Formats: sequence, structure tokens, C-alpha cells
Amino acid sequence: MNFEETDQGTHVVLTPEGKFNLVAAPPLKARIDDLVAEGKARLIVDLHAVDFIDSSGLGALIGGLKAARQQGGDLRIAAAGAQVKAVLKLTNLDRILAPYETVEEALHDW
Amino acid sequence: MTGDGATERKDYVLEGFAVPEQLDAVHTLLAEAAGDHPELDPMDVMLFETAVIEIANNVVEYGRPEGEVRWKFTIRVREDEIEAELDDTGQTFTPAQGKGMPGEDAEGGRGLPLAEAVLDKIEFDRLGDTNHWRMVRRLGQTPPI
Repeated sequence: MNFEETDQGTHVVLTPEGKFNLVAAPPLKARIDDLVAEGKARLIVDLHAVDFIDSSGLGALIGGLKAARQQGGDLRIAAAGAQVKAVLKLTNLDRILAPYETVEEALHDW
Repeated sequence: MTGDGATERKDYVLEGFAVPEQLDAVHTLLAEAAGDHPELDPMDVMLFETAVIEIANNVVEYGRPEGEVRWKFTIRVREDEIEAELDDTGQTFTPAQGKGMPGEDAEGGRGLPLAEAVLDKIEFDRLGDTNHWRMVRRLGQTPPI
């Protein structure tokens, strides 16, 4: 899986596509860790092009969220599809990774 | 048409190595089964796929010897349920079933609990030198989400 990255100055948007699974999760998590280490700790993961997530993908998002918050930032997710929303709810992760409908909404107070 | 005996029941089968590159083939197998059964609720298919992939992931990640484990998936769509059987040649082990969902901060440990949450039956047996999983989701129920 490839992912696009857009640095908007105040935040960085990462846009994975396809299956966010045990193959795709480690490189995305590694990139998030690099960004946070560079001081870019306000991150949006735009999920509009992800059609399937597994527990590895969830782990990468949680790991990224923790890393970003430790540096005073945050990781937010936007534009999740039906399967991603279902899995977030089933794992109770929607409580700490509330899915925003759009990237613009996710930016509301940044 | 009563449908009794009129519906051809087909097994959807995939055999190969339990390696990350083969996970797409598992998705494709499930898509083939779903494509032949347009009566299936997309939510049932989606949640069943989620569970099957989690169990497949476990075999890919923990099956030993790494890269040499072979697996066989068999998917069956019935009137009231969808079933997957997974046999693999990995080492014997005892799955940690029934442990519940880990806490919000955990970065791992959600695979089997997630599968258990969306399946009506999940059974594991060691049959000879093969691990055998049987996963069933009943169809047409109110989704648990």
C-alpha cells in the first residue's frame, strides 16, 4: 500500500489507500514516528481511500496517536468508510479515535 | 420454487502459503463468494471478512516455520450462515480465546477478540499435524454495530 503525505505547515495529512493491514501498517507507523520526531505532531490520517482495516492498522493508528500526544500533538482520522467505522466501534476505539467526516472537520481547532 | 435442493452449494477454496502476499487472495476468495450471492447483506460480508482476515493474519504472523506454513481456506455460503474453514500446517498452539477486547491504549491483541465479536461460532482444533479453524456468521441478524 502506498500513502500520500501533504505537509500543510500546521499539520500533516497522511492518505493511505487500499487495505490498511499488517503489510501496510508498519511503514505508515514508521512514517508517523519520523514526523513526530521532527516535531510534526499534528497529524490527520485521511481514510477515504481505505476500503479495509485490520487490527494491525488499528494498532498503527493507536501507536501514532500515543506518539503524537506525547509530543503535545494529536492524531485524528477523517473520512472513514463503513468497514473502518464498524471496526473502530467493535474495538471501542471510536472513544479515543473519533472519526471525523472530513479532513476539514478534523482541523476544527488547529 | 421452494429452493429445496435447487440452490447449488459451492465450496470456494484457496490453497497456498500463509504469507503476507497471499492475504489479498483471501480477500479475493471472499469477494468471489459474495459476488455469487447477491442476496447477502453487505454488512454480513464485511464483518465476516474482517474476522476471517484476523484469523488469517494470526497464521501469517505466528505460524512456524515462517514462510513455509501452508493453508487451505474453504468458504461456504448457506441460506442462513456463511462459514469459513481454515487448515494450516503451522506448529501446534493454544489460541487465547475469550479474553475480551484489550484496553484503548493497547497497540496489539485485538485480532482474535475482534473475530470473536463478529462471529457466532469460532472453533479451533488440532487435527493430526494441522490447525483447524471453523468460523461461522449467521446471516440476516441485526448487526452488532
